[in-house]
Amino acid sequence: MRRAPATTVDARRELVLGWAMLAIAAGYYALATRIPESGIADAIGAQGLPKAYAAILALLSIIVIGRALRARHTAIDAAAAESAAGLRHVGLRTAGMLVVGALYVALVPWLGYIVSIAGLIASTVALQGGRLDRRTAAIAAGGALLLWLLFVRLLGIPHPSGIWPSML
Amino acid sequence: MAFDALGIVVAAFGGVAWGILGGALPGISPSITMALLLPFTYSMGATTAVVMLASTYIGAEYGGSIPAILIRTPGTNAAAATVVDGYMMKLQGRGGEALGISLYSGFVGGLFGMLVLVSLTERLSAVALAFTPPAYFALGVLGLSVIATLAGESLITGLMAGVLGLMISTVGTDPVTGLNRFTFDSPELLSGIPPLLVLVGIYAVADLFAKTGEPDWGKAAREEARIKFPTPAMWRRIAKPQAIGSLLGAFEGMMPGGGGAVSSFLAYNEARRWSKHKEEFGQGSPEGIAAPEAANNTVACTALVPMLSLGIPSSNSSAVLLGGFLMHGLIPGPLLFVSHGDVVHGLYIGMFIANVAMLIIGYLIMAPCMWLVNRPRPYLMAFIYALVMSGVYAIQNSMFHVGLTLGFGVLGAGMKYFKLPVLPLVLGVVLGFMVESNFRRALVISGGDYRTFVQDPIAATLLVVALLFVAGSLFRRLRDT
Repeated sequence: MRRAPATTVDARRELVLGWAMLAIAAGYYALATRIPESGIADAIGAQGLPKAYAAILALLSIIVIGRALRARHTAIDAAAAESAAGLRHVGLRTAGMLVVGALYVALVPWLGYIVSIAGLIASTVALQGGRLDRRTAAIAAGGALLLWLLFVRLLGIPHPSGIWPSML
Repeated sequence: MAFDALGIVVAAFGGVAWGILGGALPGISPSITMALLLPFTYSMGATTAVVMLASTYIGAEYGGSIPAILIRTPGTNAAAATVVDGYMMKLQGRGGEALGISLYSGFVGGLFGMLVLVSLTERLSAVALAFTPPAYFALGVLGLSVIATLAGESLITGLMAGVLGLMISTVGTDPVTGLNRFTFDSPELLSGIPPLLVLVGIYAVADLFAKTGEPDWGKAAREEARIKFPTPAMWRRIAKPQAIGSLLGAFEGMMPGGGGAVSSFLAYNEARRWSKHKEEFGQGSPEGIAAPEAANNTVACTALVPMLSLGIPSSNSSAVLLGGFLMHGLIPGPLLFVSHGDVVHGLYIGMFIANVAMLIIGYLIMAPCMWLVNRPRPYLMAFIYALVMSGVYAIQNSMFHVGLTLGFGVLGAGMKYFKLPVLPLVLGVVLGFMVESNFRRALVISGGDYRTFVQDPIAATLLVVALLFVAGSLFRRLRDT
């Protein structure tokens, strides 16, 4: 059906995937059982298909886990091919992008759209390998103003203005 | 039939311009370009919105050839075949000619694709009213059976992604009992998770996350970017490869997982096989540009055949377009032609205009395109991120939606890492509600009799086709291992 994971890195990755999916299936099933019964329910009910989906995902996860465990014995050790340090570096930057996005969501009601989006632009430039200097600051500020003009003034979509108006 | 003619023209031109700019940026695929635009189409009329998205697809397929020819870096996967001869022509000082051949061939392929799209999809409107809940359920199952083909190298992980999509589709109010499921008392989840957020997260945000810190692409000189349209002699020479590309693109576009990249390489190979100048291929052959470019622009039209007529997206880009339909309360499938025939006809007209607009905009937009491609990558990525965050918020002024989109971005990046294919998840999300609601409705109507699914002739036929489809895919996989 499918070639087995070729390297130990692939096998480990599949093992993590299998366990993660099994956890999702279990959590989703537990939540599905909490859906209340209805007096007007059909034969399948509101819980029916969610429970079936959870069972299918669990079954697929077990297959993946089994395949990964079996492949661990035959896989080629290619750890050197995939530099752990390099992977960690990429992982950190990716997590950084998420943190920047999450911070934007958390701070925009207080800092307002222009300041927050300027901060998001500057931080993203840094995470994507650019330099945080005066030029970047100017571009972030200009970009924020441009986006504010586009969304708020031109399209008439009110973005959060933050605490600034209350301070005036 | 009444639609905003001016709106359609503006949407077609605007969509093509956006598509060319997006497609010209290496790594930004047509589906990502469309996903970035998706939030902005929310407040538009339904016809204008879908025309703009479809026009973006058309524009992006051409846009991908610009960096392929000028800096040897395809803007889209489908433009990879154009690199070979396009870049060689550029090295020979014929970059403008190569761009002209690409633009003109894309136009020819697009028009052919339109003919195929209109002639095939229109016929389906005749059977629309015969569709019952069992038939709609079977149609959804047929759509999900496509996962067997789209699953990539592992059927198991493809199925996993599909089930994840089905799980996401269960969030919200239950279609039969009206009970809340997986809403965690959040009023914003009562109506379910909008597919739009999944699409923007999975495609645009996940791509930003996954490509963090990648090296910058090459830059091009401005003087290389003057388009030179083909002469009549060149028209005659590239007519055959254009025909080959258009025919292969028409077929591949309708096949699940076919897409522009597959058709482009097939077209390139076939054009070479049938050419009188085989030796020129790889050395700067105009035919080597004409065939793949005609193919990928044909695909941009014919990929809409299964999407419009059956509600089954065969590629990432058509999945995003499907999201655009759903966002406006339009459910692609047989009934669309009856209940919203005006939107479908408006789309046809818009796509025809978009193909013509591509010739005009493609010529005029080269300077801003070059400017954009020459910007440092970190700044471009930062602005794309800012645009996504602002655009998603603009849909319903909801920061919750922005957070959800980020969450789907993480899911998408995780799927890339674990090599889970994305399209099966999207299929699950967009088809999940249709499958569940019609499955249960059919059973309610039949009094719980499961035979209803084989007694309805349309349902039975569709289920048999789905079964054959899965069996065929499994057979191919077994044979290949």
